[in-house]
Amino acid sequence: MGLDMTALLEVTGLTAGFGSTPVLFEVSLDVQPGELMALIGANGAGKSTLLGALSGLVQIFDGDIRFDGRRLVGLRPERIVASGLAHVPQGRRLFGTMSVERNLLLGGYRRHDSGVRQDLQRILRYFPALADKMARDAGTLSGGEQQMVAIGRGLMARPKLLMIDEPSLGLAPKIVDRVMEIVKEINQDGTAVLLVEQDVTLALEIADRGYVLEDGRVAMSGRAQDLRRDPAVRKAYLGV
Amino acid sequence: MSQFTQQVILGLLLGGIYVAVALGFSLVWGVLNIVNLAHGALIMVGSYITWTLFVNRVIRAPLLFTFLLTFGINLVIVSLLLLLFTADFRSVTTTYSGAGLHLGSVVIPYIRLGGLLVALVLAGILWLILNRTRIGAGILAVGADRDAAQLVGIDLRHLYALTFAIGAAFAGVAGGIISTFQSITPTAGDPYTLQSFAVVILGGLGRVSATIVGGLAFGLIEVLGQSAPGLGSGYANAIAFVVLVLVLIVRPRGLLGRLA
Repeated sequence: MGLDMTALLEVTGLTAGFGSTPVLFEVSLDVQPGELMALIGANGAGKSTLLGALSGLVQIFDGDIRFDGRRLVGLRPERIVASGLAHVPQGRRLFGTMSVERNLLLGGYRRHDSGVRQDLQRILRYFPALADKMARDAGTLSGGEQQMVAIGRGLMARPKLLMIDEPSLGLAPKIVDRVMEIVKEINQDGTAVLLVEQDVTLALEIADRGYVLEDGRVAMSGRAQDLRRDPAVRKAYLGV
Repeated sequence: MSQFTQQVILGLLLGGIYVAVALGFSLVWGVLNIVNLAHGALIMVGSYITWTLFVNRVIRAPLLFTFLLTFGINLVIVSLLLLLFTADFRSVTTTYSGAGLHLGSVVIPYIRLGGLLVALVLAGILWLILNRTRIGAGILAVGADRDAAQLVGIDLRHLYALTFAIGAAFAGVAGGIISTFQSITPTAGDPYTLQSFAVVILGGLGRVSATIVGGLAFGLIEVLGQSAPGLGSGYANAIAFVVLVLVLIVRPRGLLGRLA
């Protein structure tokens, strides 16, 4: 182990967007191996766009993305997933007319190793509620259960970094707490997490560090506990 | 009564052909979002797998553009066939071409019965591919949500090419069935594009069972329609399409269709 811990994900000067319109401007951030990073910011700040750019769905105009020692810019989404970066999109985006089990198996689409079945069991340990719903169409589950399937589908790729976009969206507070607990648990089991979350209190509670995105730029960053106490963050996002 | 039974049987047999013809068409439409006007030509020639990479380029293109492109492919294939085989009528005649199964006064022509069976086997194969294989899961995923499919690691270009190839291959088998009871010419496939379209609309998009129901229903409507008192065979298509419109008014998604 050297002293120079290399970042798992390192984004440098990233400008990205749609068509010819940038949404992100020179964003730089990093995620260390095993870290739980929160990405917070108002609606339209560019959080989802950033995740889209990292997973190859959003056009990149300038800047660099390095992940686990390789350059991601210009790679097609399926190559990025295969390199160990999984993205659980906002709104779950499950395949609603397919069974829960098939949705989860699709998460491991690129994998050909024998551990797929084992990982299915691992996911059921995180989400025991899904055990007796494996044969149901994913679209018939409750919002909370669908979010569990979405996270499980992401985990099935065996990512080194799991990006989760707004897992609390549309869920009852009790369910949100449960989902956040599991996200923390997944992280403690060794998977780095990049969590985009509107519920800033919750996000900064479980995160190690955080970045605040404003109008497509990084406005602030630091340890989660410091951000929680920061007057500007409290005023803008915590409503106090 | 036996007259009616005979018509129903003929209708279902014709419907079987429509099932075979529409399976690949429905798949390509459902997953690639392409209403493939070249389907009839593909039916006539079998699988033109090499075209797939070409079609790949228009996946995200506007509907009109895909119409233009697939119509263009249709013209190209038909012209090639004209060059290769000329416009002469050709037919496949077997020793049992005229024979049939006699059940009382009802006759079931073997060749058409065979066609129906092959169609149902085809449908079964497609169902198995879609619902029991990894590739099938990928195809359905792409049809349901392109971005989400990419995020789980599905290579869109590969899946598109594969889907179009499967559609073309199924068209090819359907062409084989048709050649056993109908004279073939390079342009004889064109009506089947229209029939495929009608079958998919009638049955609904996105499920194999919908294509089976749509195909059988369309064949039945056509045969029963033309045998209705006071109407001749010239009305068969007209009646079928009137029923199609009526069904769509009541069930816009088709008989068994899922929300796309």
